[in-house]
Amino acid sequence: MQFTADTKVLIHGIAEPLAATHSILMKAYGTQVVAGVSPGLGGSERDGIPVYDLVEVAMKDVGPIDAAVIFVQPYLVLDAALEAIAAGIRQLTIVTEGMPPMDMVKLIRKADATETLVVGPSSPGLIIPGQNILLGTHPAEFYTPGCVGLISRCGTLTYEIALSLTEAGLGQSIGVSIGGDGILGSSFAQWLQILDEDDTTEAIVIVGEIGGSGEEAAADYVAEAIDKPVVSYVAGRHVPKGRRLGHAGAIAANLSHKTEKKIQEAGSSALFDLDIGTAEHKIKAFKEAGIPVAERPSEISKLVKKALK
Amino acid sequence: MDLLEYQAKELFREMDIPVLPSQKIHCPQDLKGLKIPYPIVLKSQVRAGGRGKAGGIRFATNTIDAIAAAQAIFHLPIQGELPEILLAEAKYNASQEFYLAILLDRTARRPVLLGSPYGGVEVAFTQDKMQRVVVDEEFSPFYARRLALKMGLSGEAIEAVSRVIKRMYRLFVQKDLDLVEINPLGIRDNGEVMALDGKVTVNNEALNRHYNLTRLLQERNFEQPDQSSVFPTHDFVEFEGKLAILCNGAGLTMATFDLVCEAKGKPANFLNLGSEQAWYGTHADPLERLRLGLDAVTRSPQVSVVLVNLIAGVTRCQDIAATLVEFSDGLDHPCKWIVRLVGGDLVTAEKTLKQANLTTVKSLDEAVSLAVKAV
Repeated sequence: MQFTADTKVLIHGIAEPLAATHSILMKAYGTQVVAGVSPGLGGSERDGIPVYDLVEVAMKDVGPIDAAVIFVQPYLVLDAALEAIAAGIRQLTIVTEGMPPMDMVKLIRKADATETLVVGPSSPGLIIPGQNILLGTHPAEFYTPGCVGLISRCGTLTYEIALSLTEAGLGQSIGVSIGGDGILGSSFAQWLQILDEDDTTEAIVIVGEIGGSGEEAAADYVAEAIDKPVVSYVAGRHVPKGRRLGHAGAIAANLSHKTEKKIQEAGSSALFDLDIGTAEHKIKAFKEAGIPVAERPSEISKLVKKALK
Repeated sequence: MDLLEYQAKELFREMDIPVLPSQKIHCPQDLKGLKIPYPIVLKSQVRAGGRGKAGGIRFATNTIDAIAAAQAIFHLPIQGELPEILLAEAKYNASQEFYLAILLDRTARRPVLLGSPYGGVEVAFTQDKMQRVVVDEEFSPFYARRLALKMGLSGEAIEAVSRVIKRMYRLFVQKDLDLVEINPLGIRDNGEVMALDGKVTVNNEALNRHYNLTRLLQERNFEQPDQSSVFPTHDFVEFEGKLAILCNGAGLTMATFDLVCEAKGKPANFLNLGSEQAWYGTHADPLERLRLGLDAVTRSPQVSVVLVNLIAGVTRCQDIAATLVEFSDGLDHPCKWIVRLVGGDLVTAEKTLKQANLTTVKSLDEAVSLAVKAV
């Protein structure tokens, strides 16, 4: 894993209220938060963290920085991310919600070209209990060091499952939430690959939700390339069709209604599979890939224990 | 949010995508001042599809016919939607009709160009009929030519169609669109192309940085983004039952709702309060948001049980508990409360809740089973 106890972290947008709360919590957990950036506030200090006007200025002062956690306003995220990449930072977590998807496309092109790992947007980030690293807003008290890698889309359900794993005596090697938006910096499949290579991780839990096709892609990837045991859960199986909760990006391909109808008529030969996104489709994909699917969050720990035997 | 056809065409015109001369018709009398020569097409401006088949598109060769046609269209609801405006457009005879679209592909995480030489009403989205080009890097016109060739075009048509795609792409990026679609794109034998119908979906999150689009959406005759309700319709959904469900975070709300349904419970509604990140953005005080949420889920008199499942990150459980107690005291119709809180300072919070006779539960499974039984 590229994240260790030595990972040096910068908070971009440290003057945002959410960042002010969480930079303290990240530090308290043991994360090495070495700098904050907030244009105009350079030279000041926030809770013992020196604040700079620009990422590159921070790096001149405090030395190399490995990861940035971004809290700036939605329309400023792209700029903040590009600034961090230009300064040489290759691990980004975007906590901000509501980033325009085209900005994300631009960022992903840059991230791909520079081999930068991006988590988010709309993400509580990641936590590595064994290394005391918290990059984002996960409540640390639900986590404990261990061997289960937990990958999910959004916040509170991840905490719920982390807590139930912890209570069942199953610690976590990592908790990462890839985010709820339509266009994401890193996918389930990408994290599966990272966790497959990670020595501490012995079993992987994927927590899916209705909408999008990330779970289907993850199922394919597990069938092809993952040797470690994987357990899954999908939220939203009873949510009425056409109702997509919460995430702005949870709407399939966004074609016009008449187009969607045409695609439905085209059935299995269609260019887009409109069934993609339903809970049934995702559960089917997981089962076909040989991944056990928990009926409820509390069942996950049982399935993990069974898989680890 | 979808634009109406005439609004989409205004954007096309700005981008030099060829569109026919047209005029907005607000009432049948407007046709007396028509500046377009006959014959014309009158088109109902509704967002619903299938306008042609429903009778929302009619031809007219003179003013008398046009007024009669307009009267009929103004009174014709299409999928429940009545037009407040019609578009009068010159009639166009195309020799071929193509389909073109640009949208974001979530899996490829890139914009995708779609094109088919079999456009119009009968367009098909099968792999053999619809061509697809992913714009991997910065857009350059060769992506458009790549699509044109895959569509089987040759000669002058390649450049003519590529030019339209290039301009559609510029529009897509400049305005942060979710979708721009031209169907059909009329083609004449002399190589002339014409966007005969268009669809534009704007991205809601990017809307605030596009003054021209917000202005277009605020014009009369158009549904405005609903700013009055605190919770978007996808976060607050109502049903027929008696059990209200209030959670924070989309995933947790869905999981809780799923469990209630599995236990054969009959929900009255579910509400996702949103993550703490969201609270910081628009509603600075999470407890105020909780009060509004409680008000929303208990408003219906049929609600007799309230299941609260909240996982607190930085909000204190004690504050949540106090808010719940205060709210339940002030409620005009008594409800049974099943409260499941998770967070740092749980012990004092549970005490507060118990003193007020609100049932507190440790695990989610137990909370759901108690709530379903309490109805």
